[in-house]
Amino acid sequence: MPTFQTVPCVNINDEFVDVVSIDVKQGEFVNSGDVVATVETDKSMIDVAAEQDGYVLRVDCEPGQKIRVGAVMFWLGATSDEAIPEETKNTSSPVNAVRQPTAKARAMLKELDIDPARVPASGERLSVADIETWLSKGGKPGKAAVSTQTAIRREDTPSVAGDLQELSPEAAGMLHTVAWHRDFAASAYLEVEYDPKPWEERAAAYAAEHKLMLSPLLPLIAFRLAELGRERPLINSTIVNGQRFQYTPVNIGFTVQAGAMLYLTVVRDTQDMDAAQFISALGEVQRHAMAHKLPPQEATGATLSFSSMARWNVSRHTPILPPQTSLIIAHAAPKNSDKAVLGATYDHRVLTGFDVAQVLLALSRPA
Amino acid sequence: MNLNPDQIKAAIRAKVIELAKALDMDASGVTDDDILPATGLLDSGAILELVVWFEASYDFRIKQEDMNIDNLGSINAMTNFLLSSKPA
Repeated sequence: MPTFQTVPCVNINDEFVDVVSIDVKQGEFVNSGDVVATVETDKSMIDVAAEQDGYVLRVDCEPGQKIRVGAVMFWLGATSDEAIPEETKNTSSPVNAVRQPTAKARAMLKELDIDPARVPASGERLSVADIETWLSKGGKPGKAAVSTQTAIRREDTPSVAGDLQELSPEAAGMLHTVAWHRDFAASAYLEVEYDPKPWEERAAAYAAEHKLMLSPLLPLIAFRLAELGRERPLINSTIVNGQRFQYTPVNIGFTVQAGAMLYLTVVRDTQDMDAAQFISALGEVQRHAMAHKLPPQEATGATLSFSSMARWNVSRHTPILPPQTSLIIAHAAPKNSDKAVLGATYDHRVLTGFDVAQVLLALSRPA
Repeated sequence: MNLNPDQIKAAIRAKVIELAKALDMDASGVTDDDILPATGLLDSGAILELVVWFEASYDFRIKQEDMNIDNLGSINAMTNFLLSSKPA
């Protein structure tokens, strides 16, 4: 069956090449590896080698012609009189010569916003392997993919021996979070030191009054944050495609370390809660996290978050912003210190340092 | 499932000692009547772990409104609460 060979990609950013020479004629037999043509771009010139043995059935380009990468250059056959399929005749137009992608390749092209004409095919159909080869050589996804699918960018596999392993759902979630923070947020950090005594006294009194098992200190601070989310809607918003997206509910994210796993638990609709309801709801989701039985609605949808590493005697930490949020509070209270720290990682696209400083100062003491 | 009170208390005490050790605390002297949150041996995270372990070990569910000192504040309270929640 006749096969065709296409114009190779010379430089990733060049969609067209100039045909310098054609070194074979119709009817001539070529061996795989024989130089059959030379093409060039502004930057470089390369020899085109035959990809297989065969008789040249037809040459579809000529010296001096500008031709698109992926277009058919010539046809090869097992015999010199093989017929070229009817529907492929007169396809010397570069645009029409792009090889049809397979279904999976088509999906990948769409996902990465890649023009199929930019990707050289190694066989009769453009395959996923062709796209991956092109990407590994520096081919870049289109703008739509870059803006929405940045986590999908391809990396080289390390040269040291090893094997690829699937991420757990939790690890994949962390990857998504970190990638959003890196690719979308204009993150900044600031912090204030504060006297922890007023909050500790408030928490002790609350715990005694309600006979609580768990210290309500952090839940009370987180509830104050929820109140601030109602009072200052800006901190409960994000940027989406150049516009501010104002969240209606105030869903508080609260980090919980359960063994080796870090969860961002979520208490939804805190705008409808009082302190007791919030502390009870947070206690419930914390227990679910500790048991590694967090339902999806308690692990997604945070609009404003709180994280403490006081338990680990950490003096400060700069948390990663949960996706599509503009503020996460970082609490630290080193032992044997009369000072505690409230920090904030924030999205500077939404909030200024002044905005965040006001929030931290408001949080640093009970209302 | 063994619901012998002495064995339940011993298991809770062992768990408290284990959780405290993870926080660099020695809880070997804890008594059955000590109010655990007040001892300073366990922080909130550790108490949460204790409660989750308690539910899983004895296959019962503690309602959020029952999470208080009266029901779970000490080793004795936890044992009594379990036994009252799981009638023989």
